[in-house]
Amino acid sequence: MQPRRPPPPAPGPPRPAAPLLALPLLLLAVQGAAAPAGPEAAEWRPDTGPPHGLLRQAARAALHFLNFRAGSPSALRVLAAVQEGRARINAKKECTVDLVFTTERYNSEEGEESLGKCSARVFFRNRKPRPAVNVTCARLMEKTKRQQEDYRLYKQMKQLRNPLDGVSIPDSHGHIDPSLRPVWELAFLGSSYVMWEKTTRFLHYYMAQLSGVKQWETNDGAIDFDYTVLLHEFSTQEIIPCRIHLVWSPGKPLTVKYHCQELLAPEDASGTEEGSAVAPTELSNF
Amino acid sequence: MRSSGGCAVHRHQVLRISVADEAQVQKVKELEDLEHLQLDFWRGPAQPGSPIDVRVPFPSIQAVKIFLEAHGIEYTIMIEDVQSLLDEEQEQMLAFQARASSTDNFNYATYHSLEEIYDFIDLLVAENPKLVSKLQIGSSYEGRPLYVLKFSTGGKNRPAIWIDTGIHSREWVTQASGVWFAKKIVQDCGQDPAITAVLDSLDIFLEIVTNPDGFAYTHSTNRLWRKTRSRTSGSLCVGADPNRNWDAGFGLAGASSSPCSETYHGKSANSEVEVKSIVDFVKDHGNIKAFISIHSYSQLLLYPYGYKKAAVADQKELDEVAKSAVAALTSLYGTKFQYGSIYTTIYQASGSSIDWAYNQGIKYSFSFELRDTGRNGFLLPASQIIPTAEETWLALQTILEYTLNHPY
Repeated sequence: MQPRRPPPPAPGPPRPAAPLLALPLLLLAVQGAAAPAGPEAAEWRPDTGPPHGLLRQAARAALHFLNFRAGSPSALRVLAAVQEGRARINAKKECTVDLVFTTERYNSEEGEESLGKCSARVFFRNRKPRPAVNVTCARLMEKTKRQQEDYRLYKQMKQLRNPLDGVSIPDSHGHIDPSLRPVWELAFLGSSYVMWEKTTRFLHYYMAQLSGVKQWETNDGAIDFDYTVLLHEFSTQEIIPCRIHLVWSPGKPLTVKYHCQELLAPEDASGTEEGSAVAPTELSNF
Repeated sequence: MRSSGGCAVHRHQVLRISVADEAQVQKVKELEDLEHLQLDFWRGPAQPGSPIDVRVPFPSIQAVKIFLEAHGIEYTIMIEDVQSLLDEEQEQMLAFQARASSTDNFNYATYHSLEEIYDFIDLLVAENPKLVSKLQIGSSYEGRPLYVLKFSTGGKNRPAIWIDTGIHSREWVTQASGVWFAKKIVQDCGQDPAITAVLDSLDIFLEIVTNPDGFAYTHSTNRLWRKTRSRTSGSLCVGADPNRNWDAGFGLAGASSSPCSETYHGKSANSEVEVKSIVDFVKDHGNIKAFISIHSYSQLLLYPYGYKKAAVADQKELDEVAKSAVAALTSLYGTKFQYGSIYTTIYQASGSSIDWAYNQGIKYSFSFELRDTGRNGFLLPASQIIPTAEETWLALQTILEYTLNHPY
């Protein structure tokens, strides 16, 4: 019996990033932090199988979406801890998760203690990807500082010449050369879009390695970045190569196009997923 | 004269004896004849003026020194403890060599190749012949030896603990931690009361590179390779997931029947020789009391089942043990771990090692997922190897002690 898999994505023109929902957030504190995965709230019916860390799943989806939408490689966030949350599932097996979680900087320095708090509502449509996300986070960095960091990163990247062929980031030993860190962070930013789009109720992704940098230009002050990334999907343990093309300059919306190779079983048609997006021009309030 | 037993067996001193005359030579020869002292003469008694080097096991040290002193025979202690180390000169020399010449100048804070790990194993055994032995339990699909280290202070078929690392080859922090654990056991034996007590009654079996073909492949070709390297007829895809190949819910939901999948369960249960070798070993041994498989990443401590939702009969006890093991782990660097059954904590997974072990009657069956939680994933920076191994060791020690104190 095959493990659960998402249905192939619907063909047609790619959707832009999900619009912000105007609903007020309803959050009820239900249980304490860092409990082992288990049923979350009275409405949660366990008949669909193990909860699989539903709150963490929602937090990850929210963070990928947030990172992409913020468009700032120096302000990337990762999950620190889920603090509280509840979930509701309807007859169509659509799942709404409301949660509060803390984050830390992805590129945090040793001993740096910043925990931005976020609240989010995430809506999973059964097994379909592209969960709808409404997320608000407390500011992690002063806006001006963030802009400065982005600009500094931008300048570092512009100075990098292009002998990045055949370079894997990180290397096999998990090491990233400090001069290449900006490349990694920008790649992670673009990958956040891809990972958000591919996340479902049951599938979640991490960026395992930047396995190739094809092209790198700076035209009109923007960075035009074409690269291949290896995503690790956790429940299937698959490694999925994705070719990503992004255009970024500090303070401007990010544009992303991608093409992932799905290495599926012979009975599934070997599929490729494509998508593209432009981040909305208004920045979230964080 | 106390009996030599427990961890004391592996601690020694090497003495250099200076004999002044023929009478003293004869006295030392008398010492040589006392078999119960278990003296190991590196340079035997010959004539006056020739130094005599002898390795003296810990329990005999007192007696030998008293004997020599009583007869006015001079001696110096050459190596305070053969485990401890090299002088400056040798260290400098070794800094230029790629290869460690002892487990004390082995670099634990970096990732190693298969050859380097197998060399480490041989060094460890050579340095601790009474405590550590190397067993070959089989050969991999591509013909590489499958080595298991046995830590034992004696006895015959004592109850034992099984630990494996690196069954999924890309999880490099696990093999690296396994190497560190091996050294730690040797260091703690006779020094740390808890491990000394464990080794007084139990044996430990440690398979550091449980999937050597996959591991070699992660070095040569694909750093993110997970499975074995077995060939499946009728498919271009290679390898089966060795942690879906065990005979526990084999082929049920939680594994893939596609050879191209990362969780391909294999042709049949135990089709992977890497798995079969452990199964045969454990069954033949017949007295394994705890079975621990180590993976990365996710920071979890798991117990059975993975193939079904139903709780194991010993769920409450295993949960308590997991809870205290995790508390011990977290106490060191604050690393947060979750714990629970595989099914409820991570995902449904069939044919996993600890499900099989538990169904064999090995009650204390646990699986670890080490650092981190996704920031680095499989490519954990080498700087985190030792902290990971140190904290994990505290959890392992909790399980070892619990097993010792709860015989069944």
